[in-house]
Amino acid sequence: MTGRVIVITSGKGGVGKTTTSANIGTALAKAGNKVVLIDTDIGLRNLDLLLGLENRIVYTIVDVVEERCKLRQALVKDKKNPNLSLLAAAQTRDKTSVNADQLKDICEQLKKKYDFILVDCPAGIEQGFQNAVAGASEAIVVTTPEMSAVRDADRIIGLLEAREEIESYKLLLNRVRPNLIESNDMMSVEDVVEILSAELIGVIPEDTGIITSTNKGEPIVNDDESLAGQAYRNVARRIMGEDVPFLDLRQPKGFVEKIKNLFTKLKGKV
Amino acid sequence: MKDLFASLYNKVLSFFHQAESKDKESAKDVACNRLKLVLMQDRTNLSPAIMERMRNELIDLLSKYLELDRELLDLNLAQEDDQMALMLSIPVIRAKDEKEIEEILKAEDEEKNKESQEEDDDENNDTDSQEDNFEEEDDDDDFSSDDDGEENVDIEEDNDENIEEIEDNETK
Repeated sequence: MTGRVIVITSGKGGVGKTTTSANIGTALAKAGNKVVLIDTDIGLRNLDLLLGLENRIVYTIVDVVEERCKLRQALVKDKKNPNLSLLAAAQTRDKTSVNADQLKDICEQLKKKYDFILVDCPAGIEQGFQNAVAGASEAIVVTTPEMSAVRDADRIIGLLEAREEIESYKLLLNRVRPNLIESNDMMSVEDVVEILSAELIGVIPEDTGIITSTNKGEPIVNDDESLAGQAYRNVARRIMGEDVPFLDLRQPKGFVEKIKNLFTKLKGKV
Repeated sequence: MKDLFASLYNKVLSFFHQAESKDKESAKDVACNRLKLVLMQDRTNLSPAIMERMRNELIDLLSKYLELDRELLDLNLAQEDDQMALMLSIPVIRAKDEKEIEEILKAEDEEKNKESQEEDDDENNDTDSQEDNFEEEDDDDDFSSDDDGEENVDIEEDNDENIEEIEDNETK
């Protein structure tokens, strides 16, 4: 078996890399794939919190690299889904504790036993990024429809294109607010795709449910009612090669909106 | 009474259309345009100073053959699909005639010969003197071309229509 190694990166911090990693990983595992999530944000680990696994971590990626434990000992199984495992980052060390070759080696080993290895990349374009990308052959660039995030994503895309081992990269647009797009206050999905000229793999709406799901340590893909959860499940299906249409994210209109629309139509007739 | 209703109706309409009637550039458009510009700079690594220098060097080169409107010259990098393009738009006042061009080229050749003889000089001094000569040459051209322009009606073309566009493709 040869698994696929996908790095989840963004350049800018706070756009939802870790949330995306946790949700895509969980969704892929729920669909029956064997998945490992690697947190490479050494010193600032968070992926364990989002999965609710913070109390189960004994060994970290640094322990593996420094040979204090075997790789399989450091893999923490998810509470609900035995298909999903986490290789946590060390919290008390920094990004120089692991180098690119070591990460590449870990990915090579995991590829033999798992379908998907998702590498959660730290923010920035320094050593942490270079390490996280080292073992990957695919990338998902997470961005939001904000200028700074799009600019950073463009920089990341430039760096990914320069790396031969990255065969393909896709764009995931996070925290999309359809009502702001409709009022022309926010860049639309099409705008961002055009500016970055990259292929889109998912559009995730801004969802307050993300906050509660993070608080509970329960990825939002487990919530069947959530629109963001649905969007993440669709991303997982697209990764598996399915052709899934993009969701219509527009919220059902409120009373005032309906009245406004009525007047717009009336004005057109008069 | 009817008028009253009409005005009331219009007031209500204008209230609901406040957002739309503000026909200014939307936040989204501003963001898109600013981003496109900043990304262009990010992707090229060319500073404004270097762009300015490139612009001046191009003008100097082309001025040997054409009389150009320096003020209206426009040089931009643009993104077209997967390729980056250098868009150069230059209003041409008129094409110089052969005699003029020959003179300029001759002067230039002489200059080059002189330089190759004066090899003892510092490199920096060399380039400085070269630039100075270039500027002087240009000024001379402008004066001489004014006189010749009236005689050579055939070559003189309309200012507005004659805009030369040169596209240079660079790899991304």
